[in-house]
Amino acid sequence: MSFLSLIWLIFAPLIVAVIIMFPQFPNHQVKVRRFAKWFASFHFIYALLFLTFFDSSLFGMSYEKELTFFGMSWLKSLGISAKFALDGMTLLLVVLTTFIVLVTLFVSKIHIRSKHKLYYSMVFLLESSILGIFCAKDMFLFFVFWELSLIPVYFLISQWGNSEARRSAMRFTICSFVVNMFLFFGMLILYYYNFAVSNILTANIETLNMDNKLYPFWFQMLVFVNFLLGFVIRVPFIGFHSWYPDIQSKAAAPVNILLSGLLLNTGVYGLIRFNMQVFPEIFKIFAPVLLVWGLVNILYSGALCVVQQGIKKMVSYANISTVGFVMMGLASLNSTGFNGAVFTALASAIIFSALFVVISCIQFRTKSTYITALGGLGQVMPKCMYLTLIICFAAIGLPFLIMFTPKLMVLTGTMFSNLDQQLLVKVAAFIGLAAISVSAGYIMYFFYKVFCSVLLDQWKKLKDLSPQEASVLTALCLVIIYLGVCPMSIISVYQSVSSIILDVLQV
Amino acid sequence: MGFYKMSEIFTTLISTCFPEFILVLFILFGLIASIFFNTHFYKLSKWVALFGISLALCSTFCLQIEPDAYAFNGAFLNNIYTVFFKILILICGFFLTLLSRNMIREKRDRAFEYFSVFLSGLLFAMCAFSATDFVSLFVCLEALGLSCYLLLSFSKGADSKQLIFGYLVQGAVVSALFLAGLSLIYGLCAQVSFEEISLYFANAAVSQAQPQILLTFSLILMMCTMLFKLGLVPFSSWLPDTFEGASCPIGAYMSCIPVIACFGVLPKILMIFLNYTFTMKIIFACIAVITIILGSLSALRQDDLKRIMAYSMSVQSGIMLLGLCVFSVYSLSSVLFYLFCYIFANIGAWAAIIVLFNSGRLQTLNDLKGLIYHRPYYVIAFTIILISLAGLAPTCGFVAKLYIFSAVARSGFIFLPFLMIALIGTVILVYAYWRVIRAMFRRIETDIEVDTHVISSKFILYACAFAMAIICIFADKIIQLCQLAAYYM
Repeated sequence: MSFLSLIWLIFAPLIVAVIIMFPQFPNHQVKVRRFAKWFASFHFIYALLFLTFFDSSLFGMSYEKELTFFGMSWLKSLGISAKFALDGMTLLLVVLTTFIVLVTLFVSKIHIRSKHKLYYSMVFLLESSILGIFCAKDMFLFFVFWELSLIPVYFLISQWGNSEARRSAMRFTICSFVVNMFLFFGMLILYYYNFAVSNILTANIETLNMDNKLYPFWFQMLVFVNFLLGFVIRVPFIGFHSWYPDIQSKAAAPVNILLSGLLLNTGVYGLIRFNMQVFPEIFKIFAPVLLVWGLVNILYSGALCVVQQGIKKMVSYANISTVGFVMMGLASLNSTGFNGAVFTALASAIIFSALFVVISCIQFRTKSTYITALGGLGQVMPKCMYLTLIICFAAIGLPFLIMFTPKLMVLTGTMFSNLDQQLLVKVAAFIGLAAISVSAGYIMYFFYKVFCSVLLDQWKKLKDLSPQEASVLTALCLVIIYLGVCPMSIISVYQSVSSIILDVLQV
Repeated sequence: MGFYKMSEIFTTLISTCFPEFILVLFILFGLIASIFFNTHFYKLSKWVALFGISLALCSTFCLQIEPDAYAFNGAFLNNIYTVFFKILILICGFFLTLLSRNMIREKRDRAFEYFSVFLSGLLFAMCAFSATDFVSLFVCLEALGLSCYLLLSFSKGADSKQLIFGYLVQGAVVSALFLAGLSLIYGLCAQVSFEEISLYFANAAVSQAQPQILLTFSLILMMCTMLFKLGLVPFSSWLPDTFEGASCPIGAYMSCIPVIACFGVLPKILMIFLNYTFTMKIIFACIAVITIILGSLSALRQDDLKRIMAYSMSVQSGIMLLGLCVFSVYSLSSVLFYLFCYIFANIGAWAAIIVLFNSGRLQTLNDLKGLIYHRPYYVIAFTIILISLAGLAPTCGFVAKLYIFSAVARSGFIFLPFLMIALIGTVILVYAYWRVIRAMFRRIETDIEVDTHVISSKFILYACAFAMAIICIFADKIIQLCQLAAYYM
């Protein structure tokens, strides 16, 4: 389809962000918001068109497009080009990104009370950079978008968060910059040593491969660890996770949705694209470590989740815990586990965005996110309660809801994994199974504390969901149910990716 | 016969050193004019200087560059490499002239004098690129240093003389060190020309007989003057004080012209020695890395914009030295590209400081407060320039950083730790620039009068900010140019 251009898909939000920031653009909140919503809707439909015309039987990348300036490609003499392409996995991530931005804009109205122009332009800048991360075919282009995404994140957290948000945002940004330097370091070495092996100066991700014995083992290990460090902080994994609940508890409600829906997926994507695809040999060696790390992630942050005071922190830890399943699935090194891992990433983005939408409704009404201040809200907000119940059940992984299939696939994949440490694999699968009940514990604890216990006096006059909020939540619930009932509709799109990556792994 | 000889000399002049010749004419004109023209014509001086520089810039097209053109019995060399640097110096000089408005307004009676010294600095920097032996190199660098001292004496301010005096004394000491190193080299191989010396060392390397320690020692002595001019680590103490004491246009001059001159000359010196002394590579890498870390850490605690720019110059020179010391054609071209980006970002930053100064403010971070609400375009342009200096994504600074660090990465395992430390240092530097940006976005209650009529400084600010974005997009062309120049080195 000639009208489907990735360049437009990625750079249209950037252009809109610039247009909104122009002084000539009306500084009237209704106009800005309407413009943003209309644009986001069209952009979502445009992204859906990519999905419609996508040929999932094709192997490799499709919709390839190069950004040229008057016929010149970017940094040709360094082997770096501004090429964009999609495969099944990234296509789904792209559609998900545009969808979550749309959801966020529908929730933003009640929470964003000042600096409207800056807010909407930053949201679109973030969207543009995240799409760039997913679509970039070139390693350094990926890095450009990777760093670019930090700027809107900083502003979104610091400008509309609570009084402590500024400090947390600064801390996160500086830590990310430092960790990005490790990533950059790894990229530079990889770039050059690929040149030394193949004698072609290129940074194209598809052609990079460290899978040969020409280099000393410690060297490959060094590069791998650099990449791993760069990505695990974004996912986030235990040990590098403290920024996430910290920021989430201080940011404004719509920003929570953006962070949980967009930012975490980039880390998972990086792990798959670089650590798995470029360093298959090292990934095999690291797989048991990652498996255990994933398990620790699930259990430890699940435990942390229960002891939190604020519901935002609670949901953030639940989110981190769910991401542990992604790591388990990837570490199992077979196609069932891999497909399950990618599906888990997508599903957790949807579910936790939905939970943060619920939190935003509650925060708007009660101005509080502390568990002790809430309780029994189900009596005054029945619609909200029932919709949340669906989402919570989905988060636990009940059948016919979105999370059931991926968790099943991850655990099956782990169980039948071909790793050398068979005992570890079996034990891990069983612990993972038990961990589902842990997740049931903390999710239902959250639900009980907010909606079921005694209703405080000051909340007796709360209103139920407005039509707009109800429609947003209903849409999310419909997605959750639809993908739970027919999961193959989504798995079939990216099945070919797993076979490509696992072929490289030669398992 | 005499006529024939005259014409021959004239042809040589045009094909090899025409730009220098034009500059000499304009310097002489400036000196004569400073005697005869009184203060009414002070504005003319700027236009004369601009005219001279543009004429010299045009005349570079007359130069014969391929193959290498020698003149004056081989004492003066021209090739693509030198012409690249000469054009860079002249463009830089053009911008700096436009920035010099304050200087000639404050000292109307000495306006022509100022520009004579200014142009002579450019002239000697250009001659230094063309030098083929150590003696003429020393003379050119020393004359460049002299014009810097003279320019600094134009600075206004009560304690500026005192601050600058330290620079003068240290400068005298390091040029003596250069001479000492040069005499050692001469004692070693009885030659002063680059070519002869490198031939000597090539022969000595074949016969395994060169005295390593003496060579390294003399090289260190000679490098001292370069390190001093670039503000690298053992000699970086003068930098912030001198910049603080200097007027803004002179600060801009000091952070551009000597840097270009040193990085044009350094490869020539290093090419002779560096292949024979591996320890020197490591020593230079250490110096570079220590400068990067120390400079960016010191920049964190500064409140004066000029001092921040001084430390920034020191750190950027350190990054370039790290790129240079691994020494290959690839790394040399990356250094040239980095230099190119740094120069324009640096001029833009100084232009921003000058605009600030002209609007009646001082140069501390406090004076930047609330500017976003009064001068949004100024703030955006300054932010782009600072982002480029910090080497972040959508500007040419990122491309330059990527290029230079990839050059370090491909030079071997031994440099990887240095690369890592340098990368961490750049993050610290990002925070130092971030403090400046944050200050401009701070809210301020009192309404401040912001009044700027200086077209030229603002024009340069916007032009540089625009160039940062444009060079990022069309970086490929400039990289090819740098590779060409480096290849002909």
